[in-house]
Amino acid sequence: MNKRKKRQPDQKKLLTPARQLIGLVMLFFFLGFLLLAAWMRSEGASGWEKALILSVAVPALVYAGVLGIPRVFPGDRLLLSLTNFLCALGVLVLFRLNPDRGISQAFNYFVGVVAMLGCAVVFRFIERWGPLVVLLMGVSVGLLVLPLVYGSEINGAKNWVTLFGFGFQPSELVKITLLVAVCWLLSKRKTICAIGLTGASLLLLMLQKDLGTALLYYGTVLTALWAATGSTLMLLGGMAGAAGGALVGYRMFAHVKKRVAVWRNPWADRQGAGYQIVQGLIAIANGGLWGLGLGLGNPGVIPASYNDYIFTVICHEFGVLFGIIVLLIYLAIVLRGISIARRTDSAFHALLALSCSVMLGLQTFVIVGGNIKLIPLTGVTLPFISYGGTSLVSSLCLVGVLQGISARTQAKLRPPKAEKGTKPAPRRKGGKR
Amino acid sequence: MKQLRTNIRRIAFVLAALFALLILYGGYSLSNYGSRWFSTNANAYLRSVKKDVIPGNVLDRNGTLLAGSEVVVYQDGTLSWNRVYAEEEDVRRGTVHALGDSQGKVSNAVESFMASYLYGFKQNVWDRLSDFADGRTRQGDTLTLTLDADLCGYISRTVSRDQSLPSHVRGAVVVMNWQTGEVLSLMSFPSFDPAADESLVDRTNQPYFNRATQGMYAPGSAFKIVTLSAALRSPTLQNRSFTCGGTFLPDGDPAHRIVDYGTDTKEGVVVSHGQADLKTAFALSCNNIYAYAAAQMGDDFLRAEAMKYGFNENFLFRDIVAENSSYPDEDRSLWEVALTGIGQSRLQMSPLHLCLITAAVANDGVMMEPRLLMEAASSAGRTRLTYTQSEYRRVTDADTARTIRDAMLLAVNSASGTGGAAALPGWTVCGKTGSAELDGQENTNAWFTGFIADARAPYAVTVLLEDTGAGGTYAAPLAGKIFQWLIAK
Repeated sequence: MNKRKKRQPDQKKLLTPARQLIGLVMLFFFLGFLLLAAWMRSEGASGWEKALILSVAVPALVYAGVLGIPRVFPGDRLLLSLTNFLCALGVLVLFRLNPDRGISQAFNYFVGVVAMLGCAVVFRFIERWGPLVVLLMGVSVGLLVLPLVYGSEINGAKNWVTLFGFGFQPSELVKITLLVAVCWLLSKRKTICAIGLTGASLLLLMLQKDLGTALLYYGTVLTALWAATGSTLMLLGGMAGAAGGALVGYRMFAHVKKRVAVWRNPWADRQGAGYQIVQGLIAIANGGLWGLGLGLGNPGVIPASYNDYIFTVICHEFGVLFGIIVLLIYLAIVLRGISIARRTDSAFHALLALSCSVMLGLQTFVIVGGNIKLIPLTGVTLPFISYGGTSLVSSLCLVGVLQGISARTQAKLRPPKAEKGTKPAPRRKGGKR
Repeated sequence: MKQLRTNIRRIAFVLAALFALLILYGGYSLSNYGSRWFSTNANAYLRSVKKDVIPGNVLDRNGTLLAGSEVVVYQDGTLSWNRVYAEEEDVRRGTVHALGDSQGKVSNAVESFMASYLYGFKQNVWDRLSDFADGRTRQGDTLTLTLDADLCGYISRTVSRDQSLPSHVRGAVVVMNWQTGEVLSLMSFPSFDPAADESLVDRTNQPYFNRATQGMYAPGSAFKIVTLSAALRSPTLQNRSFTCGGTFLPDGDPAHRIVDYGTDTKEGVVVSHGQADLKTAFALSCNNIYAYAAAQMGDDFLRAEAMKYGFNENFLFRDIVAENSSYPDEDRSLWEVALTGIGQSRLQMSPLHLCLITAAVANDGVMMEPRLLMEAASSAGRTRLTYTQSEYRRVTDADTARTIRDAMLLAVNSASGTGGAAALPGWTVCGKTGSAELDGQENTNAWFTGFIADARAPYAVTVLLEDTGAGGTYAAPLAGKIFQWLIAK
């Protein structure tokens, strides 16, 4: 009892086992890159020195990300350690697939951490969002129009833009701006405006043929809508709309039909349309429970192994048990985000934290479900792990938003210094700590 | 705000459920299909690893070598291997469809489906470390199969020398122990010699195709086992007597005439069996009475019974990959339902499945899972896996199974039964013939499926010979010879 009382002020912070785990995580990555260096050397591949550099640099980044950030910003350490682990895992796996991609992802990781910190600061301190939201709405729509005006087509979707020699995917960045705008509108009960904005964005995404991202936007906004209004009618209507849209798409577009057929039986055309799914499943089966070992498999045969299919690579070389652990880490991130949403006192921040968590959760579900043939495959990235600067930065920004909201809540819960000794601000009992 | 918090909590549950779904579905599909994904020939990893591992030996139940590795050492010390097969050519030809070949031309056979053993994937860390410490090249596990090499050789010899059969006859033979589910022979014709040079293989009639497990055939009258099982359950049919008048018109349309085997309307020959009960009609293989019974029971009733016997089921046996049998799902005319009762009309099954059904009847209604793998042992001699028999499912109750057995006994042993050619003096042999008609084929497919109802020789045999003629004339004598060999052992 006594101990509990002593820790009373501390309990307002979310308790985390981060400090104990971080050493282990750093060791994991140090050994991982060391192993890769040894393997590359024995194979006679060039670039093993880079692996040695990364064996120090990545654990250092993890250390800075997990323990350094809380020194300058009162963030959520559990969230930090989980996301940093996944990002570093992405660098490791990508380096194993292709050293150059690994290096470039390490750079993306660094940029992402900085962007995350930026988002965290913004959402910690800005309280009046009204004027900003109008701007954000414009930015969202503008960014989504950009690829239609002068974008380049990659893998059938026209969602890629190169500006000033710097290529990026606007739909990834719009994730955040759109969610902020929609959640603010919903918190002000401007439901129709929120629906209109989402509808316009979805339409633009459809024009870019970026159906995977459209699905994520749709699911996330629908969830936020239901959370804000509690209207079952709207939820059912939204679901019926999605089902109807899917049916119309299935009837109208040959490629959608083909994708569903491939999902139902990829083995029928295992050398053609079903090749990717079949090779993904085989890679998982080759790995088995314990995996083949880093560097010992042949993940190169899986199409998009560094991107949409990176989860199967993880199962292939690290084993299915490790894959399950990775999924549980994603779930922990999502649930942590949701607990942040439940602790905050403003409807806007609660909705925003919820949407960010749901976005991450849905994205993971959609791509991993596609990988293991639970649902038809839609091309979205695996958050934090897949190769790609925009995707990694936007995922980390979503976490940054959560960090900011968490810090804001903590600051509000802390009794003002002048009234030291009085009871802490009232808060819900039984809430998760 | 309170409502919002409640809603948010609900959403957390939904998301957690989605992740649980991912993990559960992934685990389910990996445990059920993982070995199948692994062993397909689309697995590039498996192909690449084959160079570094010496695949283990494959033995039959008596220890005869079916396949082994001949290691070649080059002057620079590197190793390579060639797959060698059984000494006798008849044994090689008789076992090749169950065993497969190292190039994977026969799909889903032991050499590919059990690659995880043969290529050392079941090795644990200690096995690998001890191989590494001794400087040995990795060596796969030795497998002992339930196959009987002598029996397979005997059947292969008998079929190839039988002058009454056409050359390159297509067909399949399955021999099982109906008590345990052990598969003694799993053969497909025409066969080929895996030891022969590839260019010398006679490719007539697809020798690489395993008809016993992958072939899909109309069972013809052999399906009457299932029809009888259903009829015995129907209160209006089980004890009554029927009259066979030679023709049966299920829906009154003369074009939809169902006649008995041997009837030739052009020649004016009409075969009719007169008064008979279900058992007698079964022994006579009377189409009229069984088509009538099927029409009386209806499609749903018959389908439900067929599904109990494994139709429309996704077979996931541990050792054998078998094509799934199908009983049509859609609404059909009465004529088609009547035809189904005698095993025609888009009913499809593999010879292995018919053997399983026969074995289940012999085993008082309990279908055993077919097993091919008796033992797996590591290269160091440590046993990795031993045979365990397991029930696949109960297909019918023991009383019904015994009644079907009596009817099958009558079919082989009564004077007018169709399966007389399979009879063995002094042994209770039960069986059923089938002569399935196929469009675009001159002769019928000859079927015989039967078993010895004796615990001293608990064997079930299914024979299919395509495009030959009546089951009683072509398939039953071969089954009789196999029974003879089995009891003489």
